[in-house]
Amino acid sequence: MAVFNAKDRIIECKLVYYGPGRGGKTTNLEYIFTAFNKNASAEMVSINTMGDRTLFFDFLPLGLGKIRGCEVKIQLYTVPGQARYRSTRKMVLKGVDGVVFVADSLEVRRKANVISLRDLAENLKDEGKSIFEVPLVLQYNKRDLKEQGIPILPVEVMNMDMNSKLKAPFCEASAIKGDGVGATLKQALLMTLRELQKELKWTR
Amino acid sequence: MSEKDIIKRLLKEAEIYRTQGLLSDSKAKYVEILSLVNRNPTFSRNHELVQGIKGKIRAVEKSLRELKERPDRPELTRDMQKLIKKLFTFSQTKEAAAIEGAVALAKFGQYDQALNEFHSLLEQGVLPVVTAKNIVRCCMSLRKADAAVEYYAKWLSADLFSFDELKELRAFIATALEKEGVRIDLPEVTARSRKSRAKRGEETFLEISAISIHLQGDSLQDRSLDLEVQFQSANTVTVHLPSNSREVARLLAPGTRLDDIQCFSPVTVFRSSGTVAGTATIKHGPKRGDYTLDITIDAD
Repeated sequence: MAVFNAKDRIIECKLVYYGPGRGGKTTNLEYIFTAFNKNASAEMVSINTMGDRTLFFDFLPLGLGKIRGCEVKIQLYTVPGQARYRSTRKMVLKGVDGVVFVADSLEVRRKANVISLRDLAENLKDEGKSIFEVPLVLQYNKRDLKEQGIPILPVEVMNMDMNSKLKAPFCEASAIKGDGVGATLKQALLMTLRELQKELKWTR
Repeated sequence: MSEKDIIKRLLKEAEIYRTQGLLSDSKAKYVEILSLVNRNPTFSRNHELVQGIKGKIRAVEKSLRELKERPDRPELTRDMQKLIKKLFTFSQTKEAAAIEGAVALAKFGQYDQALNEFHSLLEQGVLPVVTAKNIVRCCMSLRKADAAVEYYAKWLSADLFSFDELKELRAFIATALEKEGVRIDLPEVTARSRKSRAKRGEETFLEISAISIHLQGDSLQDRSLDLEVQFQSANTVTVHLPSNSREVARLLAPGTRLDDIQCFSPVTVFRSSGTVAGTATIKHGPKRGDYTLDITIDAD
């Protein structure tokens, strides 16, 4: 959960990028690190000791500057997407304040998206949180592959599969190109900070 | 679209899946292409094409095998392990944080380092039963059931645990062994007490992050109340009730006995009982009108 240091007036909150394996979670963070480098308060850490698959997590701390006199810092995490790393995902989700669910638009990954979203809902429940209440943005990644003639799912189908009950905001993206990455992050931060505002009872 | 174009498109698709790391999907696509090629005499006679596709399938299968053979949880560098402890420790008290850090290492598969830390904590007498159980868990995760039993045998003669605590540990290990289908006879706990009751009082009370109280009453209709701990001093926790919980605050007047409290800590969940030590209404600040409740949890 968000940590509020009243003495130093610093708020730290945690945003986790979740989703099926190879969906683009790490690519999102890599793009954010490159594009918003001046906001990064430290280097991005990727614990993926074997090739380019995340085995543990990625971590990127960002500073957002001052909001209502408080220094706001965000910690971005990704989780490993493969099914066997469920216990790691549970650990990384501890204390989460907001979630970006990176869904893979490839037709062949349709089932994997739904399974991963269900996994997120269960792990949030174990944390005492509801997927319907936690700030959540859906990112439909790899939209660029359509141009290469690769079958991808229409946005309507992805919404029907994953968002018919959640009614969460969604963004189309191509993380490898950087398209939609900033918009997704911005939406997620807005929702997370709005929730924090309620919690800390900030008034206008 | 001609069949040649279809094959070209499918080959591109298979290759994209491979570069995306979707090896199973890539293999499935190449197999589909091979089947398509073999059904068409024009293509099936193209030896280079057929061998090329078979070569792709073999390459993807090799990648899949290599992936399967990779260790699930490679041992990380000491710096990475320190980062894990830093990022996944939320407790405020030193001892609970130390246990939580070691637990985080274990959850990230860093069992060897986690074991080192748990052993060190046990030597220091930090929450011995919790620490010992985590040592057993690490051993079982490392598939070293015999090591867990050896530690238990050492604990029987060490001055670390009381008789009851050793019995609790014996039961815990027995369950763990049974779960793994391991048949090892565990030594019995003798009737000697290993640690006096007086000494137990010196132990630091476990840090509690949340409690769940079972409430009963006509107006409350037998429900559970989940409360986050705002502050803790020894075994007294302070929780917060919103201003619209007047009925609950009235029911939990000072002196009220609570027979069923579920306590959540970063390292374990346990049931206990306690007494409401005090209540107060917040008079100033953003939470004005809300209530604070002090609850003393029974120490044993």
